[in-house]
Amino acid sequence: MQALQGGLLSVLSPFLRTGNAVQEKIGSMGEGLKTLSQLDAENRILKEQNKELHTTNNLLREIESENNRLRVALEYRERSVFKLLPARIISRDASTWWSTVKINRGFEDGVESDQPVLTEVGLVGKTTTVAKNEAIVVLITDETCHVGAKVEGTREKGILSGLRFQESAASGLLQLNFLAKNANLKPGAKVTTAGVSNGVFPSGILLGTVKEFRVRPLDGQAIVETAVDLSVVEDVFVVVGVK
Amino acid sequence: MKVFTGVMASCIGVFFAFLLQECLPALGLLHGGRFVLVPTIFCYAAMVLPFPAMLGLAFYTGLLTDLMYLHAVDGQVEIALGWHIVFYVMFGIIAQGLQGAMMHGRWWPFVLLSALATSALLFLELVMICFRREGFVFDSVGLWRIFVPGFLAAIFAPVLYLGILPFTSLFPRHDAIPREY
Repeated sequence: MQALQGGLLSVLSPFLRTGNAVQEKIGSMGEGLKTLSQLDAENRILKEQNKELHTTNNLLREIESENNRLRVALEYRERSVFKLLPARIISRDASTWWSTVKINRGFEDGVESDQPVLTEVGLVGKTTTVAKNEAIVVLITDETCHVGAKVEGTREKGILSGLRFQESAASGLLQLNFLAKNANLKPGAKVTTAGVSNGVFPSGILLGTVKEFRVRPLDGQAIVETAVDLSVVEDVFVVVGVK
Repeated sequence: MKVFTGVMASCIGVFFAFLLQECLPALGLLHGGRFVLVPTIFCYAAMVLPFPAMLGLAFYTGLLTDLMYLHAVDGQVEIALGWHIVFYVMFGIIAQGLQGAMMHGRWWPFVLLSALATSALLFLELVMICFRREGFVFDSVGLWRIFVPGFLAAIFAPVLYLGILPFTSLFPRHDAIPREY
């Protein structure tokens, strides 16, 4: 009898095993199934974690780009022939008619009025009013900031200043006046400071590139695009002396 | 006491309007026009304060404006110290002339005057700058920069008027306002 039962079990064994496995699977499926409220709670937690990770990621990217920017600035500071004081722009022009920014360095840091302000890319402007821990910088895009300039590869020299009205004073255009009428400057020519004796700006600092050249009744005028994007620049250097 | 409260509130209001102006960026879509809030605050104060208090506030507002926007390059100041004080005194005198409207609860003269004064301030500044720079240059961007702040002031003024309405009992002249509307 038992032998008969044993035989039957042997025959049924594969099916029983499969059945058991299916039963286990169905059981575990039941365990894996969650109620809607549980899923909702889990989803909420995951969304929060996702947001947190996004924020952390953005922060790290920002830190990385700041790190890169500061590394470039530091390299420039080390190889520059000037004594450079690093400064940060703390506010942009709040007036309608003038292009100015405020930096976080003042006379306590050794800043004086009429000192050039630049970045590793080119000239930004010069200091005007200096307070204890901050200073106003008039940008080169302001009409009152006059810079003696020369065009690389030519003998052309002129006076560079901003335009009185432009759509965006912070990233606007410059005018290079008093050039020869036959100068015929080509777009893309680099414009640098001329370094006038007893002037504010030392020679050879990049100002921008020629965009177009116009012949006027008495002189030639070049419209120049600034080298530094003044609308986004954050870290600058004040030239406080020569090394 | 009400006059003192009014003057103090106006001084604080003008101060915070300056801070807010500093923080608000230029409107690129409107050709770099900016929010100029101080003339609107001053206008409201000048329409409710007595004459001597208005004069004191004009001096305070003008002096702050002069110092905030003093543009000195190569030792030259473009708009001389005191110019804004004169402007606010003149503006205040005109506003005092319209005090009757404010007393009768009419808000539109305040809105109109705020808008006009804001644009006039910028226009006169530009004229001063042109005199200094020895050349009158004028183009559409200049016009936008003069009229956009005036337009924004016309939007801001009713908001300010309605915002102050629940607190008018703290300020002078409130008792004299017969609420007709």
